[in-house]
Amino acid sequence: MHIMEGYLPLTWCIIWFVISIAVVAFGIYQIKKIVDENPESKALLAVSGAFMFILSSLKLPSVTGSCSHPCGNGLGAALFGPAVTAVLATIVLIFQALLLAHGGLTTLGANIFSMGIVGPLVAWLVYKGLTKANISSTIAIFFAAFLGDLLTYVATSFQLAFAFPAPTFGAALTAFLTIFAVTQVPLAIGEGILTVIIWDRLKAYKPKLLDKLGALAPNEA
Amino acid sequence: MKFDMDYIAHHNALTETNPYFKLFLTIIILIVTLALDNLYFDVFVFIVMSIVILAIAKINYKSYLKFLSLPMAFLVITCFFLMFFFGKGDVIYETGIWGIVVTTDSWHYAVYTFMRVMGCLPCLGFLALTTPIAKILNCLRTLKVPKILIEIALLMYNTIFIFLNEIDTMQKAQETRLGYHSYWSSFKSLGALVSTIFLRSLDKSETLQFALDSRGYSGDLPVYEPRKKEN
Repeated sequence: MHIMEGYLPLTWCIIWFVISIAVVAFGIYQIKKIVDENPESKALLAVSGAFMFILSSLKLPSVTGSCSHPCGNGLGAALFGPAVTAVLATIVLIFQALLLAHGGLTTLGANIFSMGIVGPLVAWLVYKGLTKANISSTIAIFFAAFLGDLLTYVATSFQLAFAFPAPTFGAALTAFLTIFAVTQVPLAIGEGILTVIIWDRLKAYKPKLLDKLGALAPNEA
Repeated sequence: MKFDMDYIAHHNALTETNPYFKLFLTIIILIVTLALDNLYFDVFVFIVMSIVILAIAKINYKSYLKFLSLPMAFLVITCFFLMFFFGKGDVIYETGIWGIVVTTDSWHYAVYTFMRVMGCLPCLGFLALTTPIAKILNCLRTLKVPKILIEIALLMYNTIFIFLNEIDTMQKAQETRLGYHSYWSSFKSLGALVSTIFLRSLDKSETLQFALDSRGYSGDLPVYEPRKKEN
């Protein structure tokens, strides 16, 4: 669950907006470059964004019975890189707020930072690192999706602890990490498994596309 | 499917109202609510916006309650959490279990956060329930938000509804074959579903690109803006 409308005080809303807008602006600049070189990639980007949105509105079968959904940011980051994913995540978050009452407008900046920037960046680094180390891309994508999902919630805990530092920042952080991150571990594993299943089928049916996007491990390309 | 909010946004008494007005009103009220952080003002905003949504926009009260229910459930849980596990200061209530207490500080946090969200939610509801997304995007475009962002968002918005229909069909097909029978099989079915949609979406994106190209798409998606109805 994203941070909801009105949950953060005004100061923190502004701080997260400023940080996020800088990164998203860089992402837009990157997308512009991609689209100028390759005009037909615009439709691909749009459809992938829609895919991310759909993915986040699907319910993940979860052990604890709580309702949760995959973030989809791990897969996005492995396919398109973190900057582009940040832009797509921004649009996804706006749609989630306006179509599903999920997240909000004032907390948009904070949510972009956790789901659109920290999560994809970690996922991308993990994925690139593991594939560079000659580990099969299937294993790499599991860890990318798992950590991308988990770190999204770790980032959320940090944001909440900054906003409510009581009695101390450390104590608040531990408390928020316990609720958000620890309960998220089984769900993150679920997202990892789901992403592996998706990845396997993509590798079986569209290996050329993955290769073109530069998303395969060097030894598999 | 579950996108009732989109339907409501297109069918209410305020759909045709100037979207700039609605967008700016929402943003200004949100900022004022956050900046004042005043309990009475929060209640005031909650009541006023609810009246606007229910009486002026004539939105069914059931839909409005449904809109509020999910965030509210989450809000109550997190505020309880804030109340019992945070803050220092004078103890005002002891639960007697594991030394968990409510202090003046934590009470303050919980109440203020709760009321702030209560004030802000109807504002979001006002925008989301009365303004179709295409109109909001059109507003943003004239406000100099980068064109490429708006275009991708518009294309995305169209694609989402195509996907929803396909997912519905596929999920029904999987269910009739006991695809969601056990825990592991639901994982496999969901994986198959999502990867099939991804593969379909690639084909879709190609078709979309051809369709756009064949109509002379040059990076601009003109949107038809109907003139205001004359009474």
